[in-house]
Amino acid sequence: MADSYRQTTQAKLARMGIYAMLFLLALWFLAPLYVMLTTSFKSLDDIRSGNLLSLPQSFSLDAWKTAWDSACTGVECGGMKSYFGNSLKMMIPAVLISTLLGSLNGYVLSMWRFKGSDAFFMALLIGTFLPFQVVILPMAQVLGMLGLENSTGRLVLVHVIYGLQFTTLFFRNYYVTVPSDLVKAARIDGAGFFLFFFKILLPISIPTIMVCLIWQTTQIWNDFLFGVVFSSGDGQPITVALNNLVNTSTGVKQYNVDMAAAIIAALPTLLVYIVGGKFFVRGLTAGAVKG
Amino acid sequence: MGALSIRKVKKSYGDTHILKGIDLEIENGQFLILVGPSGCGKSTLLNMIAGLDDITSGEIYIADRLVNNLSPKDRDIAMVFQSYALYPNMTVRRNIAFGLEIRKVPKIEQDEIINRVAKTLQMEHLLDRKPAQLSGGQRQRVAMGRALARNPALFLFDEPLSNLDAKLRVEMRTEIKLLHQRLGTTIVYVTHDQIEAMTLGERIAVMKEGEVRQFGTPQQLYDLPSDLYVAGFIGSPSMNFIPCVLGEADGVGVVTLNNGKDQLISLGQISDIQRPFVGKPVILGIRPEQLTDPASAHSDHPNMQILTAMVTITEPTGPDTLVTVNINGVKTVARCHPRAAGVPGQSVQLSLDPTKALLFDPVSEKRLA
Amino acid sequence: MTVNSFSFSRFVDVTLPKVVIAPTALACLVGFYGFIGWTAWLSFTNSHMLPHYEWAGFVQYVELFGNDRWWQAMWNLGVFGSLFILICLALGLFTAVLLDQKIRAEGALRTIYLYPMALSFIVTGTAWKWILNPGLGIEKLLHDWGFTGATFDWIINPHYAIYTVVIAGVWQSTGFVMALFLAGLRGIDDSIIKAAQIDGASLPVIYTRIIIPSLRPVFLSVFMILAHIAVKSFDLVMALTGGGPGFATDLPSIFMYQHGFTRGQLGLGAASAMMMLFTAAAVVMPFLYSELMRDRRG
Repeated sequence: MADSYRQTTQAKLARMGIYAMLFLLALWFLAPLYVMLTTSFKSLDDIRSGNLLSLPQSFSLDAWKTAWDSACTGVECGGMKSYFGNSLKMMIPAVLISTLLGSLNGYVLSMWRFKGSDAFFMALLIGTFLPFQVVILPMAQVLGMLGLENSTGRLVLVHVIYGLQFTTLFFRNYYVTVPSDLVKAARIDGAGFFLFFFKILLPISIPTIMVCLIWQTTQIWNDFLFGVVFSSGDGQPITVALNNLVNTSTGVKQYNVDMAAAIIAALPTLLVYIVGGKFFVRGLTAGAVKG
Repeated sequence: MGALSIRKVKKSYGDTHILKGIDLEIENGQFLILVGPSGCGKSTLLNMIAGLDDITSGEIYIADRLVNNLSPKDRDIAMVFQSYALYPNMTVRRNIAFGLEIRKVPKIEQDEIINRVAKTLQMEHLLDRKPAQLSGGQRQRVAMGRALARNPALFLFDEPLSNLDAKLRVEMRTEIKLLHQRLGTTIVYVTHDQIEAMTLGERIAVMKEGEVRQFGTPQQLYDLPSDLYVAGFIGSPSMNFIPCVLGEADGVGVVTLNNGKDQLISLGQISDIQRPFVGKPVILGIRPEQLTDPASAHSDHPNMQILTAMVTITEPTGPDTLVTVNINGVKTVARCHPRAAGVPGQSVQLSLDPTKALLFDPVSEKRLA
Repeated sequence: MTVNSFSFSRFVDVTLPKVVIAPTALACLVGFYGFIGWTAWLSFTNSHMLPHYEWAGFVQYVELFGNDRWWQAMWNLGVFGSLFILICLALGLFTAVLLDQKIRAEGALRTIYLYPMALSFIVTGTAWKWILNPGLGIEKLLHDWGFTGATFDWIINPHYAIYTVVIAGVWQSTGFVMALFLAGLRGIDDSIIKAAQIDGASLPVIYTRIIIPSLRPVFLSVFMILAHIAVKSFDLVMALTGGGPGFATDLPSIFMYQHGFTRGQLGLGAASAMMMLFTAAAVVMPFLYSELMRDRRG
């Protein structure tokens, strides 16, 4: 019945309407990316003579070069390159440490529960809803007391501490679906706490590890609040540098450079999203292990 | 002293008492079944034997060694799980080798063991596959292989067949029994399936609500159940429980069964335990196959009792037909020859074997022996 | 028979998990709850450039509640938050329902709708700041298209600037909401829909009466997440408007940052942070409570 209904013109019109709306939505989501890209390839004159949607008169990479190594972010005029490096240096250890700790926590909270472990998990869960503003003042004091001057070191520490609740949650939710018989079997086989974790659990956690890596990478790379509060000068991450670049009020406003810099700042996470997006969805829905 | 000895073992979480004092003992080479409904504590008991759960009080000995404070790997046991619990990231070979590696068995010896086990279980061709590539029955086989490889003092089986389909379950059941006979292993086997319990077990412990209701051989449990629970749990279709009043005539117990009209049935010689119940309500327990058409009855018994009853429903099973009649207001099932089963609404004659009839105290639910 | 011996490996089994979790427990205890307490304490002191720990009562809260800029920021949060949440919910659900109609190229469309989620709010703010530029952005585009009298200067107009924050926020977050709703739609038992079809219900009726009501839990969690994003919203506004013009797009998070870190008003910053925590808690508590109840029932 449904098939014959679908044949009617009314239904065909409805389907065309659906596709039209989906197409318009796609345009709305793509338009800013299009504008950023075209603007970044235009010269300043080109920007003034054309409009948002016009294509570049002549294709120029000058704005990209400026953005990368000579644009001014406040007093410094070294482009985005060193800040890009800062973000990488901060992101890689922070992501790896928080993922490893999260997986160990998730393992304990799902398979080695003890008195109080559920309460601890609850306390951690509430942490996911904290507005970070409520912890940054004391954190600044503590970092000062610890004498940790290095911006990258500070940011790694902060991102690990405030990323743990998420990574723990991901792994815990995956590990509760692993049959408890598997741990029992391993204990009878004689595998201890770490042997089971590294030899059996981690190899089957790849989907969740992917989710965690993608989540933490985007969170940490895209962070601005911690960056602006806990880093300084040439140790700042790229988001802070981009904001400084765009909001620097000296000289002529170079919109093409702004856009190129914005794309540079967005590229790593966009890449992660495009390459890893499907792992993310798959990993989030990954269920129990059969075996 | 034997292979496994469980003494006054209790398990409680705060005020919740999961196990209320268990005493069990088996000899080397015996096959012990723990059977009972879910929540009776049988799996908890197995986990405690394995060392996966703590013991609140009491003692457990494996091969005459107190194991209360030993970790699972030091208890000389192996376990087969309901979900098989094969390591998904390892091949069958590595699954079997894992426990041996941890025990630092030399590589050459490991290979020998794996080959021997694979041969015993006829799974040489599966050794290089991953668990995900195996069928349910094959996984079951590998799980058993993993246990066999270690050659422990005690094998623990936790409902190993309940994830298999009916046909495969029967096949694997036979195979486990054969393995046990051939290798002479000592096994503790948990199941909720009374047929599995009866067919496999040499000793059966029927558990309910954290207590062992009866511990004995399959035949003891079947013929002389200690209480109404065990009587109803063992056997399928289950035993009929007919409420009646115990009478006495010349030292012989009698009851009145009514299906339209009263029919006096004599049971055997009345015992000292039964005598105080004369004139009081009791429950007559009689298994369906001991209530059958006269032609099928083992009529060599001199005191075979005959009663007539009206058929309310018939259920053919093939070899026999289950005939439901109403006696003393309760549905009662008789197992008859298909040709003697009658049709609903018709009266049939049923013969009852008084030597097999049991009496229970309706209050304490204990058998009156 | 051996004696009841102490076993090292059993001791390890009990102790090791706790040792492993200890760093996180410490981080959580100190980093979350300790620091909340610390912030709370600071909010009751007279701290300015440097923290002082002498009790000063409610002075900072009195000052905060007498501060017009704070109320402007809270009002802005109310306007931004409610519009942001409402539009994201509506548009996200609408997009999810459209995508659920056995659409060709669904994967590609989903990727397009979702990619803004991968961007930093700073990038989103930068892009929209340029698009909304009154001289060269959309306004110029409208002029080029022949609407020569058109003006579109919301980003510098104190009355409308907050709406530009809504636009950019919605653009960034809708795809994520869509993905959550789509997952919810896919989770609905097909046989319910078939039963409704056999009962003669039309597609719109099936959606409005059966499917959307059964998405209640998804609504709840999406609402939670969006509310959380709104309350802590900081980077988007910093990049898009910097809180201006004037204080037209100021938010509590910006208020907190500026007083706590750039203006040397630690106590006032702490008090505003505590107010942000209470705002977040007011939204989160009902959700956590219902989750807890569900856990208990399950």
